[in-house]
Amino acid sequence: MATIAPGVKTGPYHAVLDHIHPEPTSFIRKYIFSIDHKVIGIQYMITGGLFFLIAGMLAEVIRYTLLQPQGQMGISAATYNGVYSMHGSAMVWLVIIPLVTGAFGNFVMPLQIGARDVAFPWLNLLAFWMFPVAGVILFSSFLIGAPDAGWTEYPPISVQGPPGTTLWCIAIFLIGVSSTLTGINFIVTIYKMRAPGMTLTRMPLFVWAQFATAGLSFIATTALAAALLALFCERVFNVPFYDPSRGGSPVLWQHMFWFYSHPAVYIMILPAFGIVSEVLPTFSRKPIFGYKMIAFSTVAIALLGFSVWAHHMFTSGMVPWLQLPFMIITMLIAIPTGVKIFSWVATLWGGSIRWTTPMLFATGFLITFTLGGLTGFFLAAVPADYHEHGTYFVVAHFHYVLYGGSVMGLFAGFYYWWPKMTGRMYNEAMGQWHFWITFVAFNCTFMPMHWLGLMGMPRRVPIYDPAAWYVFWNQFASISSFVLAASMLLFAYNFWSSFRSGKIAGPNPWGARTLEWMISSPAPYYNFKKIPAVLATPYDFGNPLPYLGLEAAEGATEATPTHSSHPVPTY
Amino acid sequence: MSVSIAKQGYQLGHGHDDHDHEQVIYQETRDMRLLGFVLFLCSDVVLFSSFIFAYIYLRTTVAPIWPPMIDGHQLPRLDTAFAAVNSVVLFGSGVTMHYALENWKHGTRAMYNLFMGLTILLGAMFLGGQAYEYAHAQIGGWSGNTFGASFFTLTGMHGFHVFVGVVFLAVLWWQSSRGVYDHERYFGLTAGTLYWHFVDVIWVALFFLFYLW
Amino acid sequence: MEGLAGVEKIIALIGAIVVFIFALIGLRGEWKKTGLDDQVTKLLLGLMAFGCVLVVLAAFGVLPRGGGA
Repeated sequence: MATIAPGVKTGPYHAVLDHIHPEPTSFIRKYIFSIDHKVIGIQYMITGGLFFLIAGMLAEVIRYTLLQPQGQMGISAATYNGVYSMHGSAMVWLVIIPLVTGAFGNFVMPLQIGARDVAFPWLNLLAFWMFPVAGVILFSSFLIGAPDAGWTEYPPISVQGPPGTTLWCIAIFLIGVSSTLTGINFIVTIYKMRAPGMTLTRMPLFVWAQFATAGLSFIATTALAAALLALFCERVFNVPFYDPSRGGSPVLWQHMFWFYSHPAVYIMILPAFGIVSEVLPTFSRKPIFGYKMIAFSTVAIALLGFSVWAHHMFTSGMVPWLQLPFMIITMLIAIPTGVKIFSWVATLWGGSIRWTTPMLFATGFLITFTLGGLTGFFLAAVPADYHEHGTYFVVAHFHYVLYGGSVMGLFAGFYYWWPKMTGRMYNEAMGQWHFWITFVAFNCTFMPMHWLGLMGMPRRVPIYDPAAWYVFWNQFASISSFVLAASMLLFAYNFWSSFRSGKIAGPNPWGARTLEWMISSPAPYYNFKKIPAVLATPYDFGNPLPYLGLEAAEGATEATPTHSSHPVPTY
Repeated sequence: MSVSIAKQGYQLGHGHDDHDHEQVIYQETRDMRLLGFVLFLCSDVVLFSSFIFAYIYLRTTVAPIWPPMIDGHQLPRLDTAFAAVNSVVLFGSGVTMHYALENWKHGTRAMYNLFMGLTILLGAMFLGGQAYEYAHAQIGGWSGNTFGASFFTLTGMHGFHVFVGVVFLAVLWWQSSRGVYDHERYFGLTAGTLYWHFVDVIWVALFFLFYLW
Repeated sequence: MEGLAGVEKIIALIGAIVVFIFALIGLRGEWKKTGLDDQVTKLLLGLMAFGCVLVVLAAFGVLPRGGGA
């Protein structure tokens, strides 16, 4: 038995631990009902990608309608209501949240902490399969009348809304349960299953982000579940919670909904922060600036995120004296966020930067997310919000943080970890074209919405002022959005052709230092032949790798896992 | 020291024989399940808290008087005395569950069976009391007004949890009689006990909010 | 206290005191243990004991204010 680090010993593996679950061979156990976190992560990616396609097409229907100011494009107001409601609901719950947590969290996080799987693989399988079921239920509401009160489904409209609103409740409830289970699973995994020597402050920043996100999702999502249950009961059993004519209160829904949905904003953005924190140091060849400050500000954002929900409700008739504290706490969030932005910029400073596609997306993220954060500051200010609430300014704001933030971060992560998922490289030139088209078209689509909103154009209305100025900027935004959609074809083709015939990537094409790059690509079923010991943070470019026990593993010729991640069955 | 070393394939210092090593694996698996279960209970607390918030909100900021007026009559209050007895039944079952688990740990099987049976009996009695309460509460039913909406939704959710708990405990009892657990490894019983205590404590809040406030 | 309600209150009072005492004994047994399950048990047993106090208050008519049923 050898001591490989203080307090960490290796030795002959024990008979009990050699209880190996061999890799499943049947197609169903390997690809459909797999309990391997990597397969589940990729399943999330594919399913979320399909939903992204559908929800993106709904967005194009919105922009198509707005090409003409008075509904000349032939989309009825009722259809339009259903389309934007479903676009928002699907993008939030079926695309971004499952992709940032389920897909990237599942695929990357266990690899980065040096584990062989998540803590509860079967729970992971269950949580995944709730997600496509929820998606099918949500989209099938189109068949019986799609919900028409926006993704926020404010009562009383949602109480009286079309029958599909009930399906909406069920679908979002299911996806909420899935998200809660994933959150619990991730917290236990990160807390209990890190490789020896990986203290909390040696975790990669993506893992920190997943940790904070999991905390948000398992606490906040049940509040949404309660709100949905009450809405369901009110619609189906006529139980008065929200109907003001029967002693209920629509503002109650807003409180319960935003108590979840504001933290949900951070569920959507924190993992993107984590991805950017991995990509920037790798392609700057420099230690990340302010590791601890980034990690702790992630947690600070998560904690503050619970106490700001009412800033969505300044115009709803909530108690006036609460507006000031909510405004101040909301603005406080700019501090930890600013700490992050500063640290990322400082990471770039003086680095030897390689402009690969993930790096382009990460820097694009810095720009667009910062702009979105700044408009968030306007919206948090009560007097300004009175003017901007319910206008296209809000739409511009949250597309800058969700598309320009979360989705750009997702693209960065997708390009970054694609070689690890498939073992192949994508086409770099095509990837860079994809970035530039996305970046320009994105800004052309959503930037005009700022001034449209400031001039008073309301969101969620299919007709608008036919003055030439409004028509011009709406058409400008619509055409740009078509370009944005078309750029996705490039993205899809790139990955399809890479999957078929891409260059072989090798274990570590980027020269990155986190643990997932220390094993072969695609990652083997058991992840690590031997679990390494971790001696430092992974970002110290220029120093030797801070891992022990990997060399022996690389030297081994046969891929023989010494034991499985699944311990002996015990009760 | 870092976590889950044994699970990851490292020897934990000394201890080479089969039993020791297996014990370490058991311990870490148990710890993970325990943490996961406690987190699940935390998120369940949020579910109840949200409905409790709804009730407080509707009662204090929306309703002009409480209990609300229906057709010109103010609704009566709920029957505190009966609910007090029913609460004692449920709290009592929490205490018997605690002693059931303690007796299991100490290997006193007969006492374990006694307390476990008592717990399930008291839990079922509480459910019976709730059914009686539902039949006699004169507050306009589930969909009549916001009082009924809050009361029946919250106590209904709680009753559902109690029902699940009774089934859960019955299964645990059956499992323990079949030798699934021994006196060192009994995580199922720990989880059942925590769940049952949690259900009791939710009732403390509901009892106060609906009967004593 | 009159009629059935009076009997119920006496049962509740006696029951609450018994349960309270046993909860405290259980709590004392748990006190020195430090596992996660033990800590949670302490919290929950304590809250349950608090619930017994509430029952006692209800039995004496201290709560709800204004008497109740």
